[in-house]
Amino acid sequence: MSDNVKIPGARESLLTPIIANNPIMVQVLGICSSLAVTSSMKTAFVMGLSVTAVTAISNIAVSYVRSLIPSSVRIIAQMTIIASLVILVDQLLRAFAYDLSKQLSVYVGLIITNCIVMGRTEGFALKYPPLQSLMDGLGNGLGYMLVLCIVATIREIFGSGTWFGLTVLPTVNNGGWYVPCGLMVMPPCAFFLVGGLIWLVKTFKKDLQEPREYDTHREDY
Amino acid sequence: MLKLNKDSVLGTFAVIISFCLVCSVLVSMAVVALNPFKAAAIADDRQKNIIKVSGFEVEGKLADTYKKHIEAHLIDVATGEIADEGFTEEQRDAYNFQSLAKKPDSSVPIPKDQDLAGILRHSKLMPVYFSKDDEGNVVRVILPFYGQGLWSTCYGYLALDPADGNTIEGITFYDHGETPGLGGEIENPRWQQQWVNKKFDDEEGNYKFRILKNPDTTGPGKDFEVDALSGATLTTNGVDHFTHYWFGDAYKPFLAKLRNGEIINHE
Repeated sequence: MSDNVKIPGARESLLTPIIANNPIMVQVLGICSSLAVTSSMKTAFVMGLSVTAVTAISNIAVSYVRSLIPSSVRIIAQMTIIASLVILVDQLLRAFAYDLSKQLSVYVGLIITNCIVMGRTEGFALKYPPLQSLMDGLGNGLGYMLVLCIVATIREIFGSGTWFGLTVLPTVNNGGWYVPCGLMVMPPCAFFLVGGLIWLVKTFKKDLQEPREYDTHREDY
Repeated sequence: MLKLNKDSVLGTFAVIISFCLVCSVLVSMAVVALNPFKAAAIADDRQKNIIKVSGFEVEGKLADTYKKHIEAHLIDVATGEIADEGFTEEQRDAYNFQSLAKKPDSSVPIPKDQDLAGILRHSKLMPVYFSKDDEGNVVRVILPFYGQGLWSTCYGYLALDPADGNTIEGITFYDHGETPGLGGEIENPRWQQQWVNKKFDDEEGNYKFRILKNPDTTGPGKDFEVDALSGATLTTNGVDHFTHYWFGDAYKPFLAKLRNGEIINHE
C-alpha cells in the first residue's frame, strides 16, 4: 500500500456508514437477512445487534492480522475469523436467549454469508488500522440495524398491530378494530419497504444519485 | 525468529493452520463453557412448553408454576402401566427418551411396517405429565410425541382430556428443523388451536384422526379432521403419520388403561 492513501478518521469511519454509506440503502448488501428477520421488532433488533457485534469484532481482528494474511488465501482467512465469531454469537444466543435463537433459527448462522461482514473486512479492515476498522465495523452494523429496525417497525405495527410485542393497534383477532395487513408479515413486503427507503435517501442526498446511463433526449440517438 | 515469507506455499499453509487452530480452540472453549447455560435454557423451554398445554398460565416464576401443577410419571409403553419404581421425581421429570431411544437395553426396535413415525426405535419407558389443579385433580394428561417431518425429527407434547383419554386439549412443538414459514408453521398457535377438541378414536375405538386438505367441518369427520398447512404437505403428512403412530399404536395400551380409569382414580 502506498503511503499517500488517506486514512479516514475514527469518527468519520463510524458515522458515514450509518446514513451516507449505509450498507443496505447505499451499498445494497445484506438484503436477504433484512427480508427474513424483519417481521417483528424483537428479532430484527437482536439480529442487528448480532451483526454489529460480528462486523465490529471481525473487522478489528482482521485488521490486527492484516499484515500476516497471505493474499492468495485472504478470503479463506477472513471467513475463518468471521465463522468463529458467528458460532460464538449463536452459542451465546442459545444460552441466554433461547426463544429468540429459535425464532432467528438459521439466520444467525447465515450471518457468515452476510455480504456486509465479508465486504467490510475485505474492503476496509485489510487496508486500515484496528481503531478505524472497529469504528467502520460498528458503523456498518449500526447502519444495518437502523434499516432493519425501520422496516421491522413498519411491518410489525401494520402487520401484527404491535411494536416490540406491545399492542399499538388492537387487532380484530384480539377484540380490537384493526384488520392487520397480511402483506406486511410476508417477506416480499420488506423488498418494497427497503426500496422505498433507498428512494427516500437518494431523493434527499442528491450526491448518491447515479448518473443516467442513457438519455432518450440526446440528439445522437 | 524464523523469517518466513507469508506468500510462499509453506508460509500460506503455516498461517492458515495457525489461524484455524486459534479459532477452533476459541470456539470449542466457548461451546464447552456455555454448555451448562444451554442445558438450563433447554430445560426451561421444555417446562414452558409443558405449561403451555397444561391449561395453566405461568404465575410468577416458571419453575414454581411447573412444580405446583405438573407431576411427572413414567409409563411402560408396551403394557401401558405406570413404571415409576427406581426413579426420583427429578429423573422422571427430565427423562431423556430421545437419547435412551438409541441405546439397545433401554429401547425396542419398531417393526418396519409399523414405523409410521420413521424413528426406528423408541424408548421402553416414556414420561407422562399430569397437569393438576389447586385441589390436586388431574385436569390434563400430557404425552410427548415425535417423528419425522420433512427435514427433521419434530418433537412435541400433546395434552389429552383425562376423562375420556381421547379428546385433544392442546399441542405444542418444542423442537424441529422444518423450513421457517412453511413446515415451521407447525409452531403457529392458530394452526395448533385447530387440534383442540378433536378426537383420536370414534365410538367404536377406530383411529380416525387425520390432517388433510379440505377437512370435513360439518359432516361426520368434523371431530377428527385438522386442516393441513398449505405449502408444507410433506411436513404435515409427517405430523399426521407420527401422531397416528403414537396415539393410534404405541400409546394404545396406556390410553386403554387411562380410559378404564386404571391410571387416575376419579373420586
